[in-house]
Amino acid sequence: MRHAGKMAASMLGWALRAARQIFPLPCRGQVRGYYVDWRMLRDVKRRKMAYEYADERLRINALRKNNILPKELQEIADKEIAALPRDSCPVRIRNRCVLTSRPRGVKRRWRLSRIVFRHLADHSQMSGIQRAMW
Amino acid sequence: CFPRLCVTYTFSLPILSSKTQKCFSTSTGFYNKEDESATSTDSSAEKASENQEKATPGNSKKNTLNIISEMKVELSSKKKFQLLKKLKSKKQTKDQPESLESASSMFQKATADSKAKRSKPLNPELVEAASAVASSLPFDRKRTVSDLLAQLRKHEEATDAQKRGETTNISNVIADMKIGKRRLNRGVSRPSSQISFDDDDVQGDMLQRGIRSEFAGKSSPTLWDLEFANQIAAVNQKPPRNGFEEMIQWTKEGKLWEFPINNEAGIEDDVEFHEHIFLDKYLEDFTKQGPIRHFMELVTCGLSKNPYLSVKQKAEHIEWFQNYFQEKEELLKEIDDHKKETDLSLERKSLSE
Repeated sequence: MRHAGKMAASMLGWALRAARQIFPLPCRGQVRGYYVDWRMLRDVKRRKMAYEYADERLRINALRKNNILPKELQEIADKEIAALPRDSCPVRIRNRCVLTSRPRGVKRRWRLSRIVFRHLADHSQMSGIQRAMW
Repeated sequence: CFPRLCVTYTFSLPILSSKTQKCFSTSTGFYNKEDESATSTDSSAEKASENQEKATPGNSKKNTLNIISEMKVELSSKKKFQLLKKLKSKKQTKDQPESLESASSMFQKATADSKAKRSKPLNPELVEAASAVASSLPFDRKRTVSDLLAQLRKHEEATDAQKRGETTNISNVIADMKIGKRRLNRGVSRPSSQISFDDDDVQGDMLQRGIRSEFAGKSSPTLWDLEFANQIAAVNQKPPRNGFEEMIQWTKEGKLWEFPINNEAGIEDDVEFHEHIFLDKYLEDFTKQGPIRHFMELVTCGLSKNPYLSVKQKAEHIEWFQNYFQEKEELLKEIDDHKKETDLSLERKSLSE
């Protein structure tokens, strides 16, 4: 089944282009894909790491963010979470455009930057999108 | 009006009668038996396309025989060879009214209708019929007649033997059958079979063959054999020819959901609701009092309200905390002691004041 939304973007990236082949694809035969640029690749790596460490981070944060447990324990938990790899935190993920890797002006629903969105919509390749006038 | 067979081809004979029947079938199924002795003439698909003749419902055998003898079959060379093969192989269809595939069965049918008695020497009517058919076929006349009659004799012998109750020697037949040796198709797959296979079946088929042949001799497929099977499957895989096949491939890989959408795809929760909600059994190992217990009870309360996690995941969640607190036991003890000391000192201060 599909993972969370952060993984789907990476899969779409595979389908399009990748900067290099980092993981063997599930289908047979050799397939090379390219991500749009290295920044997109780094974002993909961050998403994967964040997915891996998501549970741990959640639990350690649960220890930190309460006032029942003794403070010493919470301090220790602080240090622990800081010791985790930096790319594992979800805050570092940037919702880039899937086609152009543009970091800004990305509409979340379509994961596309405004320029690509306009381009596709004007060529009527976006289902259900129409020019607005009222 | 006569009940019609499935219409595929029309025949036109020089002799036309009032009751012209247009129906002839090449496939199994229906056999039109009329009150009169009906003849359902038939021929193979290739012949039918060549000759255009109408057969009349033969009132008498002689009529049909005349008709048959007048029918001239024109065949291409390819079809001649096919016909030769068919003639030799399809003589056993005498009694089956549903096998309508060759000229031989044509006259056989004609004889079967009349239900001629079979005697040890061949029926003279059969001989007549054979000669009639032979005249219609473009082969050597005498040879065909003799061939047909020989086949008939064989068939008669077989039927008589069966009538007498001789057991069919299936066991002998199977004993004679040899186990086919596995041919190594290294990358050279059979093109004809490839076309007929579905895309779905190709991989599975090759894999099954690869694995089954292993089970025939050895105990279990070795890694090399599995790898070989995988290699074959990869070679046989063709790129998708159109968007539909691409979507099929994606669905198999898991990139595309299955339609109609199954809301519970991937979630195979056979567990009852009470196992999700009542999670106290996991808290048995914890201390009964203190802040940790309080904390864990809050955790379980939150988990019981969570519909997105499976029971296993919830159990893992609690286990993780258990392990964490066990590791920090010494620390916790220190904290406890320290706390008690501070509490005591505070009390003393308040008392002294």
